[in-house]
Amino acid sequence: MQSNIPIPDLDPVSLPAPVWLLKGLLLLTFFLHIIPMNLALGGGFVAAITDWIGRRRNSEHHLSLARSMARILPIVIAFAITLGVAPLLFIQVLYGQFFYTSSVLLAWPWLSVVVLLILSYYGFYLYSFRWEQLQGKRLVVVLASAILFAAIGLIYTNNLVLMLTPEKWAAMYFQNPHGTHLNLSDPTVVPRFLHFFTASFALAGLLTAVLGLLKQRQDSAYGQWVIRYGLLWFIIATLLQLGVGSWFFLSLPQAVRTMFMGGDGVATAILVVALVCAVASIALMLIGFGSSNPVWKVIAGIVLITLTIICMVLIRDLVRSAYLERYFDASRFSVEPQTGVIVLFFLLLLGGLGIIGYMMKKLLVAR
Amino acid sequence: MNYPIWDVPIIGGGLLIGIVSILHTYVSQFAIGGSLFLVLTERKAYRENDPGMLEYVKRHSRFFLLLTVVFGAITGVGIWFTIGLVHPSATSALIHIFVWAWAIEWITFLVEVASAFVYYYAWDRLDRRTHLKIGWIYFWAAWLSLAIINGILAFMLTPGQWIITKNFWHAFLNPTYLPSLVLRTAVCLALAGLYALLTASRLQQAELRVKLVKYASRWLAPAFFVLPIAGIWYITQIPPLAREVSMGGAAAVTIFAGLSILFSVIIFAFVYFGPYREPGKFPFSFSVMFLFMGLLVTGDTEWVREAVRKPYIIYDYMYSNAFLVAHRDQYQREGSLASAKWVATKGIADADMTAAGRDIFELQCQSCHTIDGYIAIRPLVRDWPEEYIDRQLENLQTLKGYMPPFLGTPRERHALARWLASLKGNNVTGNIHIVKPSPVSRDLTQGDRDAK
Repeated sequence: MQSNIPIPDLDPVSLPAPVWLLKGLLLLTFFLHIIPMNLALGGGFVAAITDWIGRRRNSEHHLSLARSMARILPIVIAFAITLGVAPLLFIQVLYGQFFYTSSVLLAWPWLSVVVLLILSYYGFYLYSFRWEQLQGKRLVVVLASAILFAAIGLIYTNNLVLMLTPEKWAAMYFQNPHGTHLNLSDPTVVPRFLHFFTASFALAGLLTAVLGLLKQRQDSAYGQWVIRYGLLWFIIATLLQLGVGSWFFLSLPQAVRTMFMGGDGVATAILVVALVCAVASIALMLIGFGSSNPVWKVIAGIVLITLTIICMVLIRDLVRSAYLERYFDASRFSVEPQTGVIVLFFLLLLGGLGIIGYMMKKLLVAR
Repeated sequence: MNYPIWDVPIIGGGLLIGIVSILHTYVSQFAIGGSLFLVLTERKAYRENDPGMLEYVKRHSRFFLLLTVVFGAITGVGIWFTIGLVHPSATSALIHIFVWAWAIEWITFLVEVASAFVYYYAWDRLDRRTHLKIGWIYFWAAWLSLAIINGILAFMLTPGQWIITKNFWHAFLNPTYLPSLVLRTAVCLALAGLYALLTASRLQQAELRVKLVKYASRWLAPAFFVLPIAGIWYITQIPPLAREVSMGGAAAVTIFAGLSILFSVIIFAFVYFGPYREPGKFPFSFSVMFLFMGLLVTGDTEWVREAVRKPYIIYDYMYSNAFLVAHRDQYQREGSLASAKWVATKGIADADMTAAGRDIFELQCQSCHTIDGYIAIRPLVRDWPEEYIDRQLENLQTLKGYMPPFLGTPRERHALARWLASLKGNNVTGNIHIVKPSPVSRDLTQGDRDAK
């Protein structure tokens, strides 16, 4: 530990669970969060653009798709938020020393997330509930909401990168203790954000394709169109990602990059699997795009891209550990597991999922 | 100490937490009561076969959906954001003790959000029995979430046995857990009643309006009977110092505590003589006023609850300024600057007394005081000579029971006194400076040794 870099001490209260369990839950819940988060982020923009094309060209297909997305988005956002609370909890218990400190440095932008989120979320509801009444104005509403949503992502990226670079903290704080910093001077922040942002368009494209699969049963021409339209978004975004992702990778510090290029066997293997799955899924989607019965290709492509996301979540964690290697040593935690409460948590989680399952079943039967 | 101190000019960090948490508490307690109101009123409408009433419930389920999943949920996360910024050490302590409680609360939150959606979107798709069941799930999930967070909130004032045992259940089921839960539950019902008064008073159809206004006013009855009893129960469980502070020990706190009771009594009296006795003559404007008074009472009461916890943020464990009670002797022996990670001054040179004093203010005082804004320090010390300030600091905990003791060496105390004295006319050192001196580690512990 370097003495000239002010890193807060570990909390004197023991860790209430083994590190592997907290880490596992952090990664699992982050994975669960990142999917609806991406769908909501990209979905807002895709809905806005689709709606805009629909109104300009007076295209029934575009308008009806945008309408469906408007209905879905508020629910997707609810899940993005709800599932986002859990990783926010686990990151604080494991990485509080870093997370709280960087948050204080950009306190005002960080706090503004709350206001931005309320505004953009109500905006999406407005878009959904006042579709007819708003007419042309709804484009402004949905686009503004989507932009606010993207701004939240940018603020998150700023903070979560700053927490990895304690060597920058003191200079920032002593220059200005009012919490008005951002971290845009860090060369990885912009490409990192764009990496997520581009991915969100790909995922929103997949959501659209899935909508198409569902609509196909009632209206096969429209369903086919929606599938192809969604796949187009996915393909374009993922091809762009080849460039953006490479930019992000190259912006990482040398030591982190080397790890993924043979320096660390496991890290390299995970990256290779992620890339292979991504390329394979583009190939499948391209075939699906040209085929008259794309169902199985789309589903296989989704499975592959899910594998890519899982790998990327692991890679993100490896990058974090590499950054913090000099400052963070998980073996220094004193661990006193609250075993009874942990068991209770898992039992209640099963119960909670059971109740949600019960409600979903009732809804589906009612159809 | 450990974390950088976020300098929030004028309002200070404490008031910022207050604003966010009062809004959240009001809205979320209102949403919890509201979920019960929805399901019970829905059942009543089925039993009395009253389509007008059913229509009324349906219409308000959208409002509660928007309130629960957007404003309630996000401001709740907002409290987390705010306390993490203003009190990172305390937040970290709470997260370490209660991470599993929060994880369990997260499950109830998932169920609550899911059931709120199903309840709203499935009015016409589910049969009555199932829809009511979903309503009950919605209410119980919302209430359980309160029952869990209540444990963490109550813990901060009365950590009870945990201080010794460090046992989770001692922390969670602490002395004020139950009275506080009963109080909050009753308040939830009353707030639901106030909201229902507002919406019912706007109904066009006279017969339904009279019926619902009277029905809504009854929702305040449990609170009327429960609040005084649970309130006394609660007060018997809080630490003696906290009781003293709220009953005369600190004028502002006592006044606010009194106002909270007074406003509550006014609301109950007006609701009884107004909508309950004369539901036909109840105007909309009155219901707005009631709702506003409800917000006042909530804000006021939460403020008092926070204020009586002083000088601690977690009672008997951590002072308001994040210094640990257990390390008190160590701070007084070795000084607070020595272990502070985020100040420019490490030791105190004679020439730099005021600069060191400024840093000590930041460390020990700024979590409650601002210089010129909320709980401003400048007017408080304006007429005091330096020696007098020093004496006040020396006996802080006895002179002002709701303040932590000064936690540093005598020399550090002199430095703070010097800086405070300099605030009088001299705006240069007194202003919240934008640019701080860079952190040069000056090894001037010599000065400290001389002082001893």
